[in-house]
Amino acid sequence: MKKTYKIFRFDPEKDKKGRYDTFDVETAKGDTVLDALIEIKAHHDGTLAFRKSCRHGICGSCAMQINGQNMLACETQVEFLKGNTITVDPLPGFKPIRDLAVDMDPFYEKLREILPYLIQADPSPTDKERIQDPVDFKKIEVAISCILCGSCTSSCPSFWADKGYLGPAALVKSYRYEFDTRDSGFHDRLQRLDNKHGLWRCHTIMNCNDACPKHIFPTEGISHLKRKVVEEKY
Amino acid sequence: MRYKWKTGMWAFVLHRATGLGLAIYLLMHINVVSSLHNPESFDQVMAFLSQPLFRILELGLLFAVIYHSLNGVRVFLIDFFNMTKSHAKIFWVLAVIGCVIFVLGAYPMLHHAGIL
Repeated sequence: MKKTYKIFRFDPEKDKKGRYDTFDVETAKGDTVLDALIEIKAHHDGTLAFRKSCRHGICGSCAMQINGQNMLACETQVEFLKGNTITVDPLPGFKPIRDLAVDMDPFYEKLREILPYLIQADPSPTDKERIQDPVDFKKIEVAISCILCGSCTSSCPSFWADKGYLGPAALVKSYRYEFDTRDSGFHDRLQRLDNKHGLWRCHTIMNCNDACPKHIFPTEGISHLKRKVVEEKY
Repeated sequence: MRYKWKTGMWAFVLHRATGLGLAIYLLMHINVVSSLHNPESFDQVMAFLSQPLFRILELGLLFAVIYHSLNGVRVFLIDFFNMTKSHAKIFWVLAVIGCVIFVLGAYPMLHHAGIL
């Protein structure tokens, strides 16, 4: 199946603004957009820059905007995309470094900001495993499946407007610890969540839920956190 | 920034737009009401406001009030009752309810103005 790929290009040494290059690529049934990009890099233009690693949706490197929506290139099969032209852009809201690769540093900074690790009031006296009940684990299981690809935060209009906003990914991560029965770091995280760049910047626009390749529904986690903060304060 | 607009995005942008519209309306409304000091000025202002343009704007106001309040219910359901996954369904159910309320409200308004 032959399709046209309209790909965002940006070379910081030559370009002031981004531009688009088009390539016609033949792909087989079951091939993904990432396969097409690898084909372009191998046979059409070796200078095309994009991130990829595992190629089966677990590393999160190949998150990009395909036909106007964020998704993983390695999980998006060409045959299921409508139309003959496939437009590929870098993740919006982040600074493009080169072509489809963006600067993810602000994303990781937000993640660090919410203390993304288990905080325990009474540290275990031994190095033994901290056992968790399967019923309690179920509550956070979906949030644990986050692969930090950045699709959600990059799809969020609140994040585009306020680069200080924690964003859905960092908030899902704080949900994951706040609702972990072994964690007692709520008061350490409260100030970091309960401010105008935190929880309350979520305006339930819902782009993140559609963008998440792991079907996490960040908005649901954020709603839980909002209620927890309100219950704590009032 | 180009991103595909889906239900949630439309709902949010319309919510902001109607919210802003209602805030501006409220200021104008207070301004008009505060200018009504005697029967003469009342009649004068009412004659001015009975122009067809204001009838159309009134329908816009009706839409803004209905949309903003019903979408407020939607946001409330999402945040307080974990209804994130059904947000689009809620939007369309409320859209139907909103249309019914709009017709029920618009008919007497237009009838009173002698248009229907």
